[in-house]
Amino acid sequence: MDVDLRLGQGCCLGLFGASGAGKSTVLACIAGIETPDDGYVELDGLKFFPPSLPLYKRPIGYLTQEPGLFPHLSVSENITFGIPGNRVSKEQLEWIETLRDRLQLAPLWNARASLISGGQARRVSLARMLARKPPLILLDEPFAGLDRQLVRELIDDLVFWSRTMAFSMIAVDHQAEVLQRLCPAQAVVLEEGKIVQQGPWEELCRAPATPLLRSLLAPL
Amino acid sequence: MTINRGWIARAGAALFAAVLLYPFTALFARIGPWQWGPDVRGPALSSVRVSLLLTALAMIVIVAVGTPAAAYIARCRARERLIWQAVLLIPILLPPLALGILMTLAFGPYGSVGSWLARYGVVMTNTPTAFVTTQVYVGMGYYVLGAVAALDAVPVMLQKQAALLGLTPARVFLRVTLPLSRLGLAVALSIAWVRAIGEFGAVVVTAYYPSGMPVQLWVNLQSFGLPAVLPLLVVFIAAALPLPWLIHVLAQRQRYA
Repeated sequence: MDVDLRLGQGCCLGLFGASGAGKSTVLACIAGIETPDDGYVELDGLKFFPPSLPLYKRPIGYLTQEPGLFPHLSVSENITFGIPGNRVSKEQLEWIETLRDRLQLAPLWNARASLISGGQARRVSLARMLARKPPLILLDEPFAGLDRQLVRELIDDLVFWSRTMAFSMIAVDHQAEVLQRLCPAQAVVLEEGKIVQQGPWEELCRAPATPLLRSLLAPL
Repeated sequence: MTINRGWIARAGAALFAAVLLYPFTALFARIGPWQWGPDVRGPALSSVRVSLLLTALAMIVIVAVGTPAAAYIARCRARERLIWQAVLLIPILLPPLALGILMTLAFGPYGSVGSWLARYGVVMTNTPTAFVTTQVYVGMGYYVLGAVAALDAVPVMLQKQAALLGLTPARVFLRVTLPLSRLGLAVALSIAWVRAIGEFGAVVVTAYYPSGMPVQLWVNLQSFGLPAVLPLLVVFIAAALPLPWLIHVLAQRQRYA
């Protein structure tokens, strides 16, 4: 793989490409789930690699297709899980209540995470990620398998919060329309581990760099 | 007339279970009145105390040492893990009597550790220390191998997710790995418990005194015959079996829930 990405504070970047292009690997390398062979990863002067920074020191939110909720905990315990010492300050409490109300989690608040539906679990994992207010959010196809209405709601929520909280976002999806809604200004297209085109979506649609990209963008 | 195949299979399974449990009918064998006089009762009750207390102590050592070891092995690469598992299998596969003899020699005055311990007054033959040490050796492999399997069953991604939420490795272990593997760990511990409390071959060599239940059963059999064995046997079964049995049943219930 040979990828060079730069992202400004509060910006959103959509990583687009066919399955196997290496999109998820890029996110996994930033998150620390996988270790790159070479190169460097940095966030606001904090070096992630090299040497590999432990996962718990990386101030990021990472959302994948699997909600990854802790099944032995309740919904509320999952959401407050990442808050240091689990001692919630007044400000944090207000923020969590905002998340709870916006994501309609109040009826599930005390339910066991293992007993809620897939769609509800995605909303909880989104709330859990946002509860820590990370400066960088990585989204690896977090909406796969969800109905259109829910996807639209979740995207609206993410866009709303990215504007209010000014966090940066890198999103991966193989559905162009999802990425276009989420990151309308900036897209990077990967093919076989290499960047083949980058720019705003209008430019990609107007002049796709490769035949594969042309076919992927056809639904738009 | 047709007989449902399911019922035939069920009858076969019932027959199998009946054969498996058949030895328990020996508790009702006509061998005359059971002996529970003072000469039998005193040592028998003492052996119950010894077995329960010292086995519990051995289990504490096994959990304290075995859990971190299992956590390390569960994170190892396949090749290294194979080496550790092979090492853990050795005390399991060794005939108990052979283990007892080896331990007596290694921890006795002829062994380097044994002679060093003796200098500090730690006697490793026929003492509670010898009893606990033997049980630790007997049960450790069972616990660690079971614990590795239990820790393996916790999804790695959940642990990484917890780390990405800011938890240090130690806190990930305490708040995610341990709660999600607790039943598997309990099953592993129950196997170690049953194996240790029932150990005869190794313990009879290293710690004839203080006599635990298996050694006392053998002494009773030799000295008084079967009527003096059965009361202690009932106590032995009642003390050793219910807890691990319940843990296994609960684990299976959770598995199929």
